[in-house]
Amino acid sequence: MPVVLARVDDRLIHGQVTVGWSQQLNPDRILLANNAIAGDPWQCRVYGSSVPPHIQVTILSLSGAVLHLSQSEYLTEKTLLLTATVPEMMELARMGAPLSDINLGGLHFGPGKQEMLSQFYVDQADLSACARLLTAGHKLIAQMVPGGHKTVINQAQLSEMEDRM
Amino acid sequence: MISALVITHGDIGQELVKVVEMILGPTEGLEVLSNHGKSVPDLQADILGWLERSGPDGAVIMIDDCGGSCATTAQLACGDGSPVAILSGVNLAMLLGFVTWREATPFEELGRKLVQKSREAIIQIGGH
Repeated sequence: MPVVLARVDDRLIHGQVTVGWSQQLNPDRILLANNAIAGDPWQCRVYGSSVPPHIQVTILSLSGAVLHLSQSEYLTEKTLLLTATVPEMMELARMGAPLSDINLGGLHFGPGKQEMLSQFYVDQADLSACARLLTAGHKLIAQMVPGGHKTVINQAQLSEMEDRM
Repeated sequence: MISALVITHGDIGQELVKVVEMILGPTEGLEVLSNHGKSVPDLQADILGWLERSGPDGAVIMIDDCGGSCATTAQLACGDGSPVAILSGVNLAMLLGFVTWREATPFEELGRKLVQKSREAIIQIGGH
C-alpha cells in the first residue's frame, strides 16, 4: 500500500494535508512531487518545515518521485503523494507511479480558470489531464478534507465543462 | 514606523485587529489578509503589494499557524534572507504588544519580545 492518498492541491503542504488527511490516514511520509521546488533548496526547507516531526517528508522532481515509489524499501510505507496540478499528477501516472484514486483537493482560482464545482477551478489543461486519468482507469474524487463534501468526477461532467469554456 | 501584516485562515486576523482597535483605538500600519479561497500566487501577490507599501523602518508579518499555507506563502513572498520578521501563532497579546511597543523598541528586538509576550498569554487559568 505505497500511496494512501494521491492528492492534487495547489497549496501543497498545508493544514488540510498535515492535519486533516494525516490524522485520518496516518501516513509515514509526505512525498511532494514538483520540479521547481525540488530544484530549489530554500523552497524545500520552507515546505519541509511545514510537516509535523512524526511524518517524514521527501521533495522530488516528478521523475524522482516515480523512481522513489518504485523502490522496494518504500513499498511498506504509507505515502501521501502531492502535486500542485492535475497535469503533474497525470504525468506521474503516465510515468508508471502506482496510483489508484486521485483526490482533487485544492484547485483555486487563477488566470484562465473557471469554476467547475464550488471552490474548484479548472482550465483546459486540467480538463485534458482529468480526461486522460479517467481513460487510464483512475477514479477522480473532488474532496477538500476527510468527511467533507465529495464529488466523483465523470467524463460527462468534464465534457459539459469543456463546452462551457 | 514599523508596519505589520496579519495573515490568517478565515476572518481570524480581521477580528483580532478589530478587537485591538477596540482596546487601543484606531491603528495605522497594521493590515490584514485572509488566505480564504486564494491560490498561493494570489496570496503571494497580495503580500508583495504590502511589502512595497511598508516603509523603511521594518516590517513584521504575523500568521496564525506555522504549518499552514499562510506561513509558507509569507516565507516564499519575502524570500530567502529577508529582513521581514515572520512570527507564527498570532494572538491578541502579540498584537497589543506590537502596537504598544513598535515605536520604542529596536526592530531587531521586536520579534523576540512579541513571541515572548504571546507565549506568556498562553496559560491555564482554571481547572486542575
